Amino acid sequence: MKNKIILIGGSAGSFSVVTQILTELPKNFRIPIVLCLHRLKHVRSGFAEALSLKSSNPVIEPYDKDRIEEGKIYIAPANYHLYIEAHKHFALSTEDSINHSRPSIDVTFVSTASVYKENVIAIILSGANNDGAYGIKRVKDLGGITIVQNPEECQVSTMPVSSIRIMKPDFILSSTEIIKYLIDINNKAFFGK
Amino acid sequence: MDITDDEILKLVETVKVTSKYDFSDYTEKSFRRRIEKVVTDNKLSVDDLLKRLKTDKTFLEKIVRDITVNTTELLRDPNVWITLRDKILPELKNKESINIWHAGCSSGQEVYSMLIMLNELGLYDKTNVFGTDLNTDMIEESKRAIYKYQFNAIYFENFDAVFNSTEEVAKRGKLSYDKYFTIDKNKDLIIVKDFLKKKPFFRTHDLVNDDNVFGIFFDLIICRNVLIYFNNKLQNRVFDLFHRSLFPDSFLIIGMHESILGPFSTRLEKRGLYYKKRHEY
Repeated sequence: MKNKIILIGGSAGSFSVVTQILTELPKNFRIPIVLCLHRLKHVRSGFAEALSLKSSNPVIEPYDKDRIEEGKIYIAPANYHLYIEAHKHFALSTEDSINHSRPSIDVTFVSTASVYKENVIAIILSGANNDGAYGIKRVKDLGGITIVQNPEECQVSTMPVSSIRIMKPDFILSSTEIIKYLIDINNKAFFGK
Repeated sequence: MDITDDEILKLVETVKVTSKYDFSDYTEKSFRRRIEKVVTDNKLSVDDLLKRLKTDKTFLEKIVRDITVNTTELLRDPNVWITLRDKILPELKNKESINIWHAGCSSGQEVYSMLIMLNELGLYDKTNVFGTDLNTDMIEESKRAIYKYQFNAIYFENFDAVFNSTEEVAKRGKLSYDKYFTIDKNKDLIIVKDFLKKKPFFRTHDLVNDDNVFGIFFDLIICRNVLIYFNNKLQNRVFDLFHRSLFPDSFLIIGMHESILGPFSTRLEKRGLYYKKRHEY
């Protein structure tokens, strides 16, 4: 049970939700979280630091080849695609944008799904384009758990709506329900509760 | 498009036995994505791709180019350029001459960014600038130095962050893009001025197979966002090449999210955004 990983993808309108999630997750949250969020290319630093202040766990922009560790929250660096490789380490790339995005949520989700398979919990939040839809579909196809933020609650619903259009997520949840779900699954995985 | 691990291995093997290119130590995921793209773009099955690679040399070269092409931008990561200006180049400025190698220069924007920096600091004439890439198309693009306006105009933000900060403008006035570029919005072009194009020396170079082909030592090697495509073993070989090609106490810059792990981490010492070759006796 301890091989789980949580993926969160989002763009416009997702920052407040991500902040809320990271603020409310407890300090003993062990399952690694990988955030892939679209943001302005040139607003490079500050974002991870700002999230770190709110979060009870460290928020890190990983370096190429860093190993994924429990209890850490990773955020895809601006202007790179973030992959997860076979031995559970990160790999970065500066290939062209995909779905007009770098980092692209599809890239991170697809590569993680092929490594972690049924141990992925993938979440698509508010966002303004369809990046991530194909990725969350792959997670589902490979046996992972898929969650889409309730489009009615999203500031911009294009991203969750495009996901729901091509796959049937396991859950459509509000941000509060997402937090509750994550805490539950962490407790089950690590504390047998 | 799903390709099996077996097919990937076959592809690497085919390229290896039919050409001088060896992708076996490339990182798996980005390599796979590029192969998938090649297969989709060429509307081929993996079997057909393999067959064609074996028989058609021109096709193989094209595929290798598609796999190895990388994106770059003018003054990528302004903080790196500010560090170059404030920390690295001041240490080199009193040398009789300065040798700089851009390894994996892609379409050349980084080389021209450097030339602009050198010119602004009055170091242009004493510096030799070399740009290399595996990809022959990229070398030709570097020499041409003509870029699409719509894809590159956003990078003038980087230019302003480096050269037109409040501090810089107070010191020497606003630096105009026109000094170094001809901008033709109608034709969608940014053209590097001729005097800059004459300066650098571009040639192909394979970091995986080739040694230091210049027969000189360097004061600064810049190799950004290339090592991310290599596994640790291959990275170490490249660090060895760089280490052997640098003067003592000289500088290496790699990508903002790359790091030196393994045997060279003690011989190339990290100082913030750059590495310095340690003096060894």
